Amino acid sequence: METPFPFGFPLPTGFYLTLYVATWVIHAAFMNYVLAGSAYLGAAIVIQGKSVETNPLASLLRDWLPFMLSAAITAGIAPLLFVQILYEDSFYTANQLLFHRWMAILPTLMLGFYLLYLLKAKFIAKRSLKLRIAIGISAFLCFAFVAWSWTENHLLSLQPQSVWVEQYASGVFRYRDSQLISRLSLWFASSFPTMATVLAWQLMTQKPTDLEKGQPGTRRTAALAMCGLVASGAAAGIYLNSLDSSVSKSLFSALGFPYLMLASLGLVIQLLCWISIYARSKLDKISLAIASTGLCCTLTGFSVSREVIRISTIDWQNRLSAHESAFRVGGFALFLTSAVVCGGLIFYVIRLVRKNLTESSASHG
Amino acid sequence: MDVPYYPTHEFGPLMKGLIIGGIGIVHVFLAQFAIGGGLLMCYFQWLAGSRGSQLARQFVDGYFKVLVLISFVVGAVTGVGLWLTSIQISPRTIGIMVDEFHWVWATEWTFFCLEIVAGYSFYRYSRILNDRNRLFLLATYSAAAWFSLFWINGILSWQLTPGEWVAERNVWAGFFNPSFLPSLIFRTVTSMVIAALVACIVINLIPDLSRSQREKLIAKAGHFTAPMVLMPLLGIWYMASIPADSRQWIMGGSVAMTMFFALGIGCSLLIGGYALFSLLRGGLYINVATATLLCLLGFLATAGGEFVREGVRKPYTIRTVLYSNSVTPDELAYLRRVGSVTNDPYPLLSSDEIPTDQLQLGAKVFRFQCSVCHTVQGANGLTHLTGTWTPMQLRLNVAQLQRTKPFMPPFAGTPEELEALAQWIEWHNSGSMDDWSAADSGASLTQIASWLDEVGTRPGIDLMNEPRVSGGAQ
Ligand code: HEC
Ligand code: HEM
Repeated sequence: METPFPFGFPLPTGFYLTLYVATWVIHAAFMNYVLAGSAYLGAAIVIQGKSVETNPLASLLRDWLPFMLSAAITAGIAPLLFVQILYEDSFYTANQLLFHRWMAILPTLMLGFYLLYLLKAKFIAKRSLKLRIAIGISAFLCFAFVAWSWTENHLLSLQPQSVWVEQYASGVFRYRDSQLISRLSLWFASSFPTMATVLAWQLMTQKPTDLEKGQPGTRRTAALAMCGLVASGAAAGIYLNSLDSSVSKSLFSALGFPYLMLASLGLVIQLLCWISIYARSKLDKISLAIASTGLCCTLTGFSVSREVIRISTIDWQNRLSAHESAFRVGGFALFLTSAVVCGGLIFYVIRLVRKNLTESSASHG
Repeated sequence: MDVPYYPTHEFGPLMKGLIIGGIGIVHVFLAQFAIGGGLLMCYFQWLAGSRGSQLARQFVDGYFKVLVLISFVVGAVTGVGLWLTSIQISPRTIGIMVDEFHWVWATEWTFFCLEIVAGYSFYRYSRILNDRNRLFLLATYSAAAWFSLFWINGILSWQLTPGEWVAERNVWAGFFNPSFLPSLIFRTVTSMVIAALVACIVINLIPDLSRSQREKLIAKAGHFTAPMVLMPLLGIWYMASIPADSRQWIMGGSVAMTMFFALGIGCSLLIGGYALFSLLRGGLYINVATATLLCLLGFLATAGGEFVREGVRKPYTIRTVLYSNSVTPDELAYLRRVGSVTNDPYPLLSSDEIPTDQLQLGAKVFRFQCSVCHTVQGANGLTHLTGTWTPMQLRLNVAQLQRTKPFMPPFAGTPEELEALAQWIEWHNSGSMDDWSAADSGASLTQIASWLDEVGTRPGIDLMNEPRVSGGAQ
């Protein structure tokens, strides 16, 4: 607890912790877009009714949510791999204890996926508003259920064996934990600033109809971000307050404190940027880049703090030798190479598409 | 020795293997559709580009929509599902696989990322791209999809044929194992055939095509069934690469395995026969009903193949390393001394319904050692299997489980546990009464102990060719 994360651990453990956190942050970014995006889209259809068609944020979300969901699922696979190396038995035990209730995330994800496609489909747009409202809300509920399940599973995985035995003996596939609501609220609230930042970048790629007024939807995006930031600050406070004193102690020790500060600093940076964007009602690349940097700080800070909480809750001394033997297995060079090659190709594909997009819009406009 | 215990649940009347097999089949079928589909679209896009075929281009766009809507959704989620199901059924198996192959999986993951980016880019923007760029995206997509097969195939084939890895513990020795190549090529061919069959459905469903246009497209898609001629050879190669005992389960040693194998072969023959027939006849037209039927046959063939692949690993999930019931060979000898459930912290869920302590112990032993492969009264149910046996036979056959059927692991507990398990089975066989006074079996604990000692802790597949020198009661 005297050294900042991840340096105080044996090399293999610190190495897998770093990879876990890094890949989880990627998952969190996409997952946030899906969670907050489906919430906002559902709410927008309810509140705006048919005029939701003119809401630029809703249109973007409807268009992009299916892809973002694919990305969230795909991005989730990497941390799923590393969480097993790091915390094998606790993760598996929680999975097994929740059984059907846990496995239910799979059909729910598929349902949510198809609902998102339905929202995009032209023949649904022509149907009654009630149907669209039902689809919009159900899609959000699907993703909220998945988020709740991951949180419940995580909290259960933090418990000692005595609680697991009790849970198993009860025959109930739901785990109640006093921290569930506050922790889930934190994830939900903090998903809005992420979504707003991505949406803002997406808005920037569209040509404004009126250059003077700037991008339509700017103020709305900023408002969403600001509300999310304030709410995540509050939720984080409530959640921190509910932690055991031993856990908070390590969060505020050298192990975790730098990251708590990083997260808070990120929150402040983001808030300032969004206030300025809101006031000017104009998106510009520089403010957005600064807000994105703030977002990265917050996501990283939250993710590491999340890990510090886990590490100081469970007894994992006996896992360290497993990390060490996993560390000796070959293949890391292959992974690095493929990450570079596939990463490069992904970059190239995106560039190719963008180039064609600008060319085609130039030739049409 | 620290044997890990997990809070396992039972899946009602369904055997656990069936569950994982079931999800596995859907996933494998869809994944193969995605892989073959990528290759097929590259082919059609190439036709579109080099021959200027507008028809081929139109088909590619229609086909890709189906692919994204089905494979990107159900395929991706069942993939995660397969993982989570494995955790439910055998956390230790998946745990060892992750420890050993996490970098291969992480590598596969980078290809998944490339696959969805290239795939979605094509899906969204193919309209504004020229033929060359369209082909580039499709080729990137297909290569990424095929490589994900390449990586996962190494891990899955390792489970059955770990090869040199057993001695060397080198990840590449495990990855490029004896059945790696035949199964990789076999799966690639299967992928192409499935893609062609789905194509025939899609071609029928694209609106506004004339009959001759459909015929043209179907003829081109039909080219993708041609590699089926290799299948018999690949099958023989694969069979030659797997252990002799596994081969024996397929060739009649295990009724269920042989049936699934026959299902796979039969369905493949029907598809191949139809393809050959239409080739000979020339200019064939497959309507939507036939195409769907052929696809269904393809699905059944996959089902047969996947069940066989899951099944022939018995008695192991990872050959020589971990038995199907998550006990390692070392632990097995240890558990014979201390008892298999002595340290299991998880209580029985249904203990109220079980009248005596001994029966409860038996139920726990069943949960730990047998429930991966057996239910009590459902699929592969023990009541059904042992209903006609005498008490002595039951005890002997369980004590020498690996001899009773070499695809079962050796019994991993004490004589007391075995007696309790036998009583528990007998209690079920006689109708699960509310009160039960231990049935007299005529076999004492010393007798059971001597049966256990006599057969030892070696796996049945090692004993198969040795004569049975039994203590008596068959
Ligand atoms: C690796 C999976 C596996 C495990 C673990 C396993 N079995 Fe089996 N067992 C089978 C299969 C497969 C059969 C064959 C069923 C058939 O022939 O229809 C079988 C058959 C049997 C039979 C009938 C044998 C016969 O000759 O007809 C008995 C009795 C039996 N098992 C008891 C047990 C008991 C008791 C345990 C736990 C201590 C156990 N099995 C563990 C897979 C397993
Ligand atoms: C839209 C769908 C999803 C949502 C909304 C979602 C949400 C979440 C949330 C809120 C958490 C944090 C839980 C906590 O720490 O309390 C989380 C963690 C995680 N998610 Fe997701 N998730 C989704 C899909 C997936 C999928 C499909 C995968 C797997 C491929 C995945 C993999 C993970 C992993 C590995 C963790 C870390 C678990 C841990 O460390 O305990 N997620 N997810």
